[in-house]
Formats: sequence, C-alpha cells, structure tokens
Amino acid sequence: MATHKGRGVSAIEYPTGMNQNGDPSQAWIKIKPDGRVDVFAGTSDIGNGSKTIQSQIVAETLGVPYDWVTYDNSNTDSSPVCTGTFASRATFVAGMAVKKAAEKARERILEIASKELEIDPADLDVADGEVFAKGSPQKKISVADVAAAATWTYGELITGTGAQLKPYAEIVDPETGRVDLPPHSAISYAACAAEVEVDDETGQVTVTRLVSCFDVGRAINPTLVEGQIEGGAVQGLGLGVLENCYPYYPSVEHRGAQFGSYLAPGMEDLPKLETLIIENPSADGPYGAKGIGEMANNPQPPAIAAAVYDAVGVWVTELPITPERVLRALEAKAEPRREGKLVSFDEELSVNAIGGGALRFEVSA
Amino acid sequence: MKAVGARLPRYDGIAHVTGRTVFVDDVRIPGTLWVKALRSPSHHAKITKLDTEPAERMKGVHAVVTHKDVPLNVYGHLSALGIPGDEPLLAEDVVRYKGQPIAIVAAESEELARAAVEAIVLSLDEQPALFDIRKAFDPDAPQVHHWGNWYPHFEAEMDRRQIRKGDIDAAFDQADTIVQGVYRPAAIEHVPLETQVCQVVPEPNGRLTIYSCTQALYFSMGVVAAHLQQPLNKFKFVGGTVGGGFGGKVDTATETMCCLLALKSGKPVKWRWTREEEFLCSSTRAPWHMEIADAVSKDGWILGRKMLTLHDSGAYCRFSPYGLTKHSFHHTGAYTIPNLSFDGYVVFTNRVPTTAMRGFGVTSVSFATETHLSRIAEVLGIDPFELRLKNANRIGDTSPNGVVYTDPSTVPTIQAIADSLGHELPGEYRAMTPAQREGQWLPDHLVSQLGNPEEH
Repeated sequence: MATHKGRGVSAIEYPTGMNQNGDPSQAWIKIKPDGRVDVFAGTSDIGNGSKTIQSQIVAETLGVPYDWVTYDNSNTDSSPVCTGTFASRATFVAGMAVKKAAEKARERILEIASKELEIDPADLDVADGEVFAKGSPQKKISVADVAAAATWTYGELITGTGAQLKPYAEIVDPETGRVDLPPHSAISYAACAAEVEVDDETGQVTVTRLVSCFDVGRAINPTLVEGQIEGGAVQGLGLGVLENCYPYYPSVEHRGAQFGSYLAPGMEDLPKLETLIIENPSADGPYGAKGIGEMANNPQPPAIAAAVYDAVGVWVTELPITPERVLRALEAKAEPRREGKLVSFDEELSVNAIGGGALRFEVSA
Repeated sequence: MKAVGARLPRYDGIAHVTGRTVFVDDVRIPGTLWVKALRSPSHHAKITKLDTEPAERMKGVHAVVTHKDVPLNVYGHLSALGIPGDEPLLAEDVVRYKGQPIAIVAAESEELARAAVEAIVLSLDEQPALFDIRKAFDPDAPQVHHWGNWYPHFEAEMDRRQIRKGDIDAAFDQADTIVQGVYRPAAIEHVPLETQVCQVVPEPNGRLTIYSCTQALYFSMGVVAAHLQQPLNKFKFVGGTVGGGFGGKVDTATETMCCLLALKSGKPVKWRWTREEEFLCSSTRAPWHMEIADAVSKDGWILGRKMLTLHDSGAYCRFSPYGLTKHSFHHTGAYTIPNLSFDGYVVFTNRVPTTAMRGFGVTSVSFATETHLSRIAEVLGIDPFELRLKNANRIGDTSPNGVVYTDPSTVPTIQAIADSLGHELPGEYRAMTPAQREGQWLPDHLVSQLGNPEEH
C-alpha cells in the first residue's frame, strides 16, 4: 500500500460573450461640477469584480484618477440595459459599453477645455485629471475646472452614452452547423498542469499543485485576474475530485442538502497554485481584454484525470474522481477492447450498453 | 497614473470584508410578509386535486397564488433565440421534478407561511420517472415531457444539434488507430453563499420595487414583465451586488412569484430560500454524457472526430439548447480537426432542471476532449505536450462551424506550462508559434480546412 504521484496536462479554449452574440450592454456617464464621474451601467457584480474593472476602464479612458469614479449599477431606473453577468461578458462586452460612453464624455470635456484654453480639441489630451496641450503640457486646465465651466459658464451637462452589440449569428445550415457570422467575439486560451498524490489503499486523490497559464488579452487588473484564476482552479478541483449533487447518478437518491453532506472545496483542499498570464490582445475587447471568468474552472478536471492515470494507471472518466471510483478502477484494472485498429475504452458506460438500442454510437473501424 | 493594468483595490472590497455591503437579505421593509412554496413531493405525477382554501382561511395569511393567478404562466426565457417556452412558473396539471413549485403563500411570519403550505390539499397520481439519459430513447421509456424525451425544436425542427465538417468516413478509413471513450462529468451545485432571495415592495404609484439577487437585472425584468404581461416601467429592479452566482442566479427563480404575491396582498413580501432549498430545489450544473471516437495517425495527427453528446436537462429546457449549441461549437477544443461528425441531444429527465454554470456547455467538453487527448497520447506513446502542440489550432485554421481562428494562443500557453514544469520540448516544438501553418505543420489532411484570416 503506497502513495503514488502523478502529473497531467490540459489545454483549452473558451469564447468570450454569448455564443452567437446578440447580447447588448449599454452605459451612460455624467460629470459632476467638480469633474467627478458618475457611471451608470446595469452589470451585476457577482463577486467577479466588474464594478472595479469597469471603473478602471472609465478612469483610463477619461484620463482621471480611479477614485474620481462612482459606479452605480444599483437599479434599472437609472442604469441602461446589460444582458447580464454571464458568458464571461462583464469585462469584454459591458466593459466596451462603458469605454464608449467614456469616450463620448471625453470628447465633450476636450471641447469645453478647447474654449477655455483657446486650443483646437484635436491638439488636446487628458491625463491624471488635467487637460493639456499636446507638445506643450504647461498649457493646461484641470478636468475639475472644465466641469465647473460647463456647469456655471456654458450651462451644459457633460455626458456620454455607449452601447456594445455584436449581431446575432444565425445557424444557416442546421445539418452542418454553419453560421452566417462568427458566433464568438474573442476566444481565450489556457493550459494547465495538475500534480496529484493517490493513495492506493484508500483511493484518496489529493491535488498537490495546479499550474495555470491563461491568455487574458489584457489584464485590466492583474490582482482580480489572478483571483479569478485561483478561485476557478479551486472550483475546478471541486469538479475533479469532490462535488456531486447525485452521488449515485443517475439515481436521485441520497442528495446532500447541507454543507456537511455536499463536499465543496474548503481551504484544507487548497493545492499549491501557480498562475501565469499571457496578454494576446483582442481587437474587440476594451484595451484588448478578453473574458476568462468562466473558463477558469475548465482545465483542471482533465489535467487531474490524466494525473491520476499517471499515478496509478487507471482512467476514471466519471467525475468526480472519488476514492470509491479510484478503488473500483484499481480493482477492475480494465483494459480497452482492441479490435483491428480500434482501441475502445469505457464500453460498459456507453449508450450501446445501457440503452435499449434506439440510439447507438456507431463507429466503423 | 494608468488605471488599466494597475492593481487597484476592489471597488467594494472594504465594504464586503467589513460586513457592511447591503445584500438583498439585509434590506428591511416594515410590514413585510414571508413567502413559502408548496413544492412537489414527487418526481413525476399528475395533479388530481389542489385546494388552497384551507390556507387562504388561516389568520395572518394574506395571499395564496397558483398557476391560475399568472397572466402568462409558460414563458420561454430564450424566446429571443427561437427556443420556445416549456416550463410553467407554477405547475398546472403535472409535476415533473421533486421540488417543483405548485403554490406560493405570503403570511405574517415564516412559521405561519410554512403552516399555510402544509394546509394546502394536494392529491397526486404518481407516474413512472426517468433518470438515465441513456435510456430516454428506449421505446418503453417513461415519457417525461410534453415534447417527448428530448428537445425537438432546433433549427428546421431538428431534434438534435449537428456539426458536420469534411469527410468523416475517409478520415476513419485513413486512420492508423481509432481511440474511443466515454466521459461523464457530474451535476454540481452552484453553492452561492447567498441563497436565492427576493423582496418586492408595491409602491403607492402602482409600481413594484424588486430587490433581486439576479445576475442579470434587465433579463430578469424582462422575464417578470412577460409573465405579468406588463410594460417595463411597472418595475424597478434594485440589485447589482450579488453574493455569489456562478450562473445559478440567471434563473429568475423568485422574482415573478414575489411580484404576484405582492400584487395580490398589496403588501411587501420576501422570499428567502433555506440552504436545503438551495441544495435540493435550485437548478444545478448539468450532468453530461459524451462519447468520442477519434481517428488518429500513428504519428499523432487527429484526422477526424465522431462524437455523441447527451445533455441531462432535467425536467425542462431552461437554457439547455443554448448550452448544447455552445458545446457543439467547441467540441474540438483548442485544436484543429478537419473531419467532424457531432450529434448532441438535450434530454429530459425527472430531476431538477439544470442551468447555466461557470463554463456553461464547455466545461463538460473540455473535460471529455482533453482526457481523451491524454488517452490518445498514452495509446500512441507520444508526449502529451507534443501531441497537443502538433494539433493546436493556428491562425487561418477553421473552427467546427467553419469560422477562421485569428488569434489563437494555444501554442504559447502550452509552451509556458512546459517551461514552468521544466519539461524539455524538442526544438521544432519549442520554435512553434501560432502563425499560419507551413512545412511539417501543414500536412495534406489540413490543407482543405484552411481559411483566410484577413476576411474576419
């Protein structure tokens, strides 16, 4: 009886924004008389950090400090449409809407600054809360003074609105799945390595290390990106070795109804986590960003399954890889059926074995 | 300083970690009634009697709502995507899963609401239930759904999602080896720390204020407006700060029912699911059944893939047809496979409907196809990094539905993992980039699938 170490790898991709698109997000911005910024967007923050990310995009686009930005997503009376926080779209799609709104407000700021400085708006730039002449930055006016002038001198409200929508991609040939437009806006990529220890007496799989590399397009906030990847890694670990609503699936009996009878990962399950970020910018995302919120829990389960094979020589292809499943697999030591050039695994799980024959998975070897 | 790329503090981080963020359950409205639901005790049954009068007569019970009170009881959440509605807000003549809501009550305390639910008279005629999606197609299988046992309304009224590309038979003829396997990831719970919760306040001006934990304010408002057959300005959704969702809070599980009770009682109402309801009655990530056969050459090229997917939708379709379509579009993963034959079915069972969860539609296929690739590497005796790099999608390659990849990062992400593990790659794999294929990376079988990246 011994503990065996193993390592497995995986590589995945994931689309950003709703599949087939057609999912709008909108935003609007107003500037207070002292230059402070109110952003109204309808994007729910589910812990993913979209309030932070969208505020950073607005601050960057307007050229004002982050702490000048107030972000309001609190209600549908003041905030415009956001299709929702899903499909990894809160940065990529909704972030583009706030960026476009900020670009419009920025144009108005430069137009009013132009009157105050008597310099063409095309020759002006804005950064750190100040509008300045390109090439001669000593000629400048603060955004606060611009906003005050708009309010008290010119009788104007500086606003900007923005909307992002990619048209819906129709499936024009349902026989082949062909579409009339690209069904995705951007695709993110990741690879992962898992290291495990498998106890061949208890069947226990302990994930000891997860190394992940994600192409995020552009990390708007590296801390939050790392948080998504680390949180996703632990959720992927749960998928791989712990969680199951139906312990005897497909039976519905013995469902866990409390935290004590449903195994979700806890701090004691945390492996060594290493995160690498690659920035391959998307042409369609705000500042090149893609979305990786969802895919963060996708690469671990297959890397863990391969690591378990590497450790003890059995493939467990039903998730989660519980001690019971490992022990049963070790006992069975099932070999694939080899016939001609066919190498066929898991035949006992197939519709061909379980179903009554009306649906079959036919492969001619 | 630059805001983009900076490690700035989370906008609401201090409030979260000091417990001062106001979530829906923190909202306090005087005079609020408490909501509880009568849920199906059966996995599959005909409703033969439903008498709510004993509950309505109880002192302190202000409203009881059944399907008769809903202006539009069946509304398709994805009707905009051509997916028709199938799920009643409140069950009418049949219940298809244990936990399905049949009636809801609003009373002056949670205890009283629970007692009122128990006072409702419900008689059921038990029906056989189906749980194994692999048996759904059998001629003698229990009939789960009024559409049949699998979703029949894909484009052109097809009963499955199909992908066809290249010449699958030729690929299997040419293959040196065919590797076949079955992959079955489990249903899991979203486990948000904040259970489903909603507070609705009828305002003096006739509007409804809805404090909601939805992940999608406007989507949920559209769902409520459709069920109630009212314009959007009847409603004000308040939310945007959610205590964990992971996909499960797109369902709009509580908002419409709370609105109906608030309108019927004329009082504010609140529904806060117990942890047990969250585990047993809320939707889950779907269980999937995937069978893959890959035609491979002895030097590790994947020439073709044949795949069958069964998606366990539970009792109603919710977002499942969308999830399966997304799944099919990504069933080659991060690789280029020129010859494909994919068939996928959304299959109904008598379990709680499944729904979106982090990685919807793709988490399953990533597990299946990546585990399968690891197996192919083992069967052929090829390094798993090299097998992946060889077949990695490149600029100018095309996806399962013929869309050109313009900026894939499969190659550099795999190389980065190899580097971090100290795994030595042979020179030609170390030098590989995502650039368009040429030379040894453009074998004959990959020529016909090439597209023009400039056109996209």
